[in-house]
Amino acid sequence: FTASLLLGTTLTISSNHWIMAWAGLEINTLAILPMISKSHHPRAIEAATKYFLTQATASALLLFSSMINAWQTGQWDITQLTNPTSCLILTSAIAMKLGLGPFHFWFPEVLQGTPLTTGLLLSTLMKFPPITLLYMTSPSLNPTVLTSMAILSTALGGWMGLNQTQIRKILAFSSISHLGWMTIIISYNPKLTLLNFYLYALMTTATFLTLHSTKASKLSTLMTTWTKAPTLNAALLLTLLSLAGLPPLTGFLPKWLIIQELTKQDMA
Amino acid sequence: MAVAVVLLSGAPFHGGCCRHKVFLSLLGPLLSNSKLYSSYRRPGAEPKKKLSWQNADFSFKKSIDHLKTQLSLLTKETQDYLQGPGGHPLSQHVLEQTRVLWQFRSQEDLNKWVISSDVEIGGKSKVYIKLGRNNQAALLYGTLNTEVPRDGETKYSGYCSMRSRPAVGSFNRKKYYDWSNFNSLYLRVRGDGRPWMVNIYTDPYFSHQKDDLYSYFMFTRGGPYWEEIKIPFSKFFFSSRGRVQDNQHPVWLDKASFLTLGLTIGDKVDGPFQLEIDFIGLLNDRAHREEFAYETYDKN
Repeated sequence: FTASLLLGTTLTISSNHWIMAWAGLEINTLAILPMISKSHHPRAIEAATKYFLTQATASALLLFSSMINAWQTGQWDITQLTNPTSCLILTSAIAMKLGLGPFHFWFPEVLQGTPLTTGLLLSTLMKFPPITLLYMTSPSLNPTVLTSMAILSTALGGWMGLNQTQIRKILAFSSISHLGWMTIIISYNPKLTLLNFYLYALMTTATFLTLHSTKASKLSTLMTTWTKAPTLNAALLLTLLSLAGLPPLTGFLPKWLIIQELTKQDMA
Repeated sequence: MAVAVVLLSGAPFHGGCCRHKVFLSLLGPLLSNSKLYSSYRRPGAEPKKKLSWQNADFSFKKSIDHLKTQLSLLTKETQDYLQGPGGHPLSQHVLEQTRVLWQFRSQEDLNKWVISSDVEIGGKSKVYIKLGRNNQAALLYGTLNTEVPRDGETKYSGYCSMRSRPAVGSFNRKKYYDWSNFNSLYLRVRGDGRPWMVNIYTDPYFSHQKDDLYSYFMFTRGGPYWEEIKIPFSKFFFSSRGRVQDNQHPVWLDKASFLTLGLTIGDKVDGPFQLEIDFIGLLNDRAHREEFAYETYDKN
């Protein structure tokens, strides 16, 4: 299944044709489903079902968007997405794939039902192909729609993560919030989106792997990990602060650069 | 398909007045509240309830009062949200080791529970609930009767149960609680020596899991002394439609709406029963380290 995930991801990020990109996304969706439902617990099955339904809908919308564009312009090239209706439908499809607001409702529940290692893949590897598609089509997309979605994601990710007691849900809302940051700058400086994504993936990987080794899935368990692995706990503290964007840690860098770029665009 | 064609072609023959009857007969299963596969009412079962849209009350004043109540609930929920998880500060959530869920001190506490028995399927068991002496406990009592109703379908009978009502917030939304800090159910009861079954229904999202239930036994001692029974959540086994499943897994408590916490008696012994319940709560028993009691190894 991991090989299929890598195949799907590589297929999507290296394709020029919409059908190949769509095929890669479908391979990714189908490959991760058995990994989500591996334990056969009803909550895992529920997470897998929710994931499948949202991703299948998003894939269908993506295909629909590419077909409208092909019908109107005769182009199947990913970078030649010029039809406005196609751009709008593609934006909603990618938002659904990524878990951007207002299509974010599935993400915390799905992440809560999965094991930590699969949750890591959902938060990092599964986000890579849709972000690549967004990167490739960014010049054609509507900046207002993207900005609204980004602000909504950032706000909702922050506020809804406040009263959570389950760590996976907190990380899900953190992911939604970071996606908001990535999306807001994509129309103006797409490279900052990629930088933000790479750094986010690095920090999230560190967080997930630390939580996996300490077997902490809720806040009360996390409170007692300092007795078992004090060094790891300290490293987790720094990683989480970096994820929050606290200077002088690494996580502050993409936020700083994004705000600087938005200021140049008279938006901040 | 052929039936529909025959029915629709028959409509003009019988005249326009019968066309709506044909239409209604086609849509009958959709309009009625009963399950599509059976509309047979068992002897002794209650008559069909009114459909939900028939219960609608179009009084303007009542709707305004209802809206005010819901808005006040929503305000309280927002204030609780600002305070912390579950309306308590985070420190309380992390440090608490016990919590009382239901206690029986007034009629309002009794109204949070629903009693039922095999009368639903035509049986003859009786069950009642009332407040005990000095309003210090709930008394669940009745008579179990294992006589099978003569309807040609039922093979077994004789059960009585008490189930909690679901917790609903403002605008009838489901309330979810995080009970993952606790690992045991704690009941203070005084029984008559009969065994009971404690059932937990976790209200799953999808309908194909709606028959799932987690159950364990509660053995009571007869006698004048109260018992404090601790049932770890790791002991609850998983069943679906009354059948214990091969693939067992522990009950997850992170999204515990606990639509139903039920106490059922069905020990196939005719006669009276009674159970006094002081309170039902949760406990974090630090000495209990078991994660799950059944078959945790990988099966083929």
